Amino acid sequence: MPDFSPEDNKLALKVVFYGPALSGKTTNLMQLHSLLNPERKGELMVLETRDDRTLFFDMLPIGLRSRSGLDLRLKLYTVPGQVQHDSTRKAVLSRADGVVFVADSQVAQQDNNAIAFGNLEDNLDKVGLDIDTRPMVVQFNKRDLLSVVDEAELQSRWADTPWAPLAMASALQGKGVIETFRALLDRLYTVINAEFDLAGKHDIDRATFISRLSASHGVGNA
Amino acid sequence: MRSFEDDPTLSDLLTPDQIQRLGGALSGLCREPVAISENRTGDAVPVEFNLETVGWLSGGASDGEREAAAELVSFLMLFVAKYRLAANIHHDTTEASYAELQRQNEALKASEAKYRDLSDQLQQKVDEQVAVIRQTQQELYESARLRSVGHLAAGVAHEINNPVGFISSNLRVARDYVKDLEPLLPETADNRELLEDFNDLLSESIEGTDRIADIVADLKTFSSIDQAEHSLCDLNSLLRSAIHLIQTEHDHSLSIMENLGELPRIPGHPSRLSQTLFNLLDNAAQAVGDNGRILVRTLADNTGIQVIIQDNGCGIPDTVRSQVFDAFFTTRPVGSGTGLGLTVARDTVRAHGGQLTLDSQEGAGTRVVLTLPVKQGS
Ligand SMILES: Nc1nc2c(ncn2[C@@H]2O[C@H](COP(=O)(O)OP(=O)(O)OP(=O)(O)O)[C@@H](O)[C@H]2O)c(=O)[nH]1
Ligand SMILES: [Mg+2]
Repeated sequence: MPDFSPEDNKLALKVVFYGPALSGKTTNLMQLHSLLNPERKGELMVLETRDDRTLFFDMLPIGLRSRSGLDLRLKLYTVPGQVQHDSTRKAVLSRADGVVFVADSQVAQQDNNAIAFGNLEDNLDKVGLDIDTRPMVVQFNKRDLLSVVDEAELQSRWADTPWAPLAMASALQGKGVIETFRALLDRLYTVINAEFDLAGKHDIDRATFISRLSASHGVGNA
Repeated sequence: MRSFEDDPTLSDLLTPDQIQRLGGALSGLCREPVAISENRTGDAVPVEFNLETVGWLSGGASDGEREAAAELVSFLMLFVAKYRLAANIHHDTTEASYAELQRQNEALKASEAKYRDLSDQLQQKVDEQVAVIRQTQQELYESARLRSVGHLAAGVAHEINNPVGFISSNLRVARDYVKDLEPLLPETADNRELLEDFNDLLSESIEGTDRIADIVADLKTFSSIDQAEHSLCDLNSLLRSAIHLIQTEHDHSLSIMENLGELPRIPGHPSRLSQTLFNLLDNAAQAVGDNGRILVRTLADNTGIQVIIQDNGCGIPDTVRSQVFDAFFTTRPVGSGTGLGLTVARDTVRAHGGQLTLDSQEGAGTRVVLTLPVKQGS
């Protein structure tokens, strides 16, 4: 749920990277931290890990300030993918405004993807959110590996869902990470603009929203 | 902190002591002392954490010193905050899990109680159904037995009726012939004796056939073979038939006194009423044994008919009186009765809109009063 405090004219949004263990959620966030150059960018907080596996969550705050003075914040979280951390996943997921589901492209990981997706559906339901209306992007990560499911096959499998087209990425190589994030921003904008009239009241149209929050070092402020 | 994701303030992260200690250490590094506070003062620069200004740092000899000191505080803040965030989410999830566990525990208890209830109710229903089934089965068996006995009796009665009829009329004709022969025989003492004997033989035989005819008639009444299922019944005649039959069963050894008043006919099932009367008489007969007495009275007033069957037999002990109407209850030795007599009797009487009351004293006897309304129905 967007958290708007009128006294500071501050709107805080929450995006959660969800997915099975080891699919590359933390890697996505680390890449966003180093590749992105948004107007405002905080520290990447990687909380406790054990053997590089997330135990609590990771968090990266970014933001922009509109000409109208709106202080727009976006907090990007990852959840721990390991099965046993379900209550933490649920706590992090609560009040999420958008979700990036990071799936593992490897053939052997398809069952885990399905289980994690079911778990996302369950937990969204438990925290009172609806998977069909929540802005969400599904990313298939690790495209650089050899034993991955064919992209055409994946796209056709998901074609009839609200999440088509899928985003393809190799987070390790920094490929597709920003594109995934932009696709999410695009879907998020529709919902947030409908509620807060970003375009009308704050002079933030879709393109501004996306480009100012996802400006990258390489491309500069597009 | 309110929730793990709320942005922390300076005082959320550090105690006043720690803030002071930090300020002291930083002052030692700078040429002029610095102070950290939550409020902005003159030359203060913001201490930022997660895009949030969490405090202000003032003092120092230059902007450069102030900014370096503020940066150091922000850097420290990152690690303090990490720890706090981890601790907070751990606390949140532990509490949520505990609440969930408790909720599950409550739900479990509730469902356990519900299932216990259900299982109790189920057991009770099963018991009730079993009782109903057993009683229905027994009644079915009883009525089937009655029907077959009735049919047999009716069949036998019908078969016997004709031969008894012609034997009886032939015997009467034969007696007339003997009379006709009398003047034709020579008048001797031997002959007279012979004729008298002959006459006596025929008379006794006629009496015998009359008795057979009576029993046949009783059997027919009892099995109501000649009557419709539901018809106007003469209770006195049903009672007489039942008394004859019970006497026949006991070799006419019972002392039964009849005191039957004039009764209006009432609508009912003659065979079921007969069976009821027979059951009551049978109970009385069993209670009195060889040398008791049974008194049978009927009377009527404008509301109804009463049939009273009273015996001076063994009576019913107090301990079992409340159970006498329960199906299967019997005080007789196993095998001598089904125990359904009174239950069936009471059910039949109720079906006729009447009542059956029982008044008994152990050792003194039992009095059964059967009341039937003259006009049936409600
Ligand atoms: N080959 C390849 N490996 C990757 C890619 N993305 C992540 N990995 C590797 O996969 C492993 C797990 O990555 P993480 O980002 O820690 O995975 P996670 O989803 O955060 O895992 P949990 O925190 O346990 O849920 C690491 O060894 C990464 O280097 C990718 O695109 N290609
Ligand atoms: Mg991780």
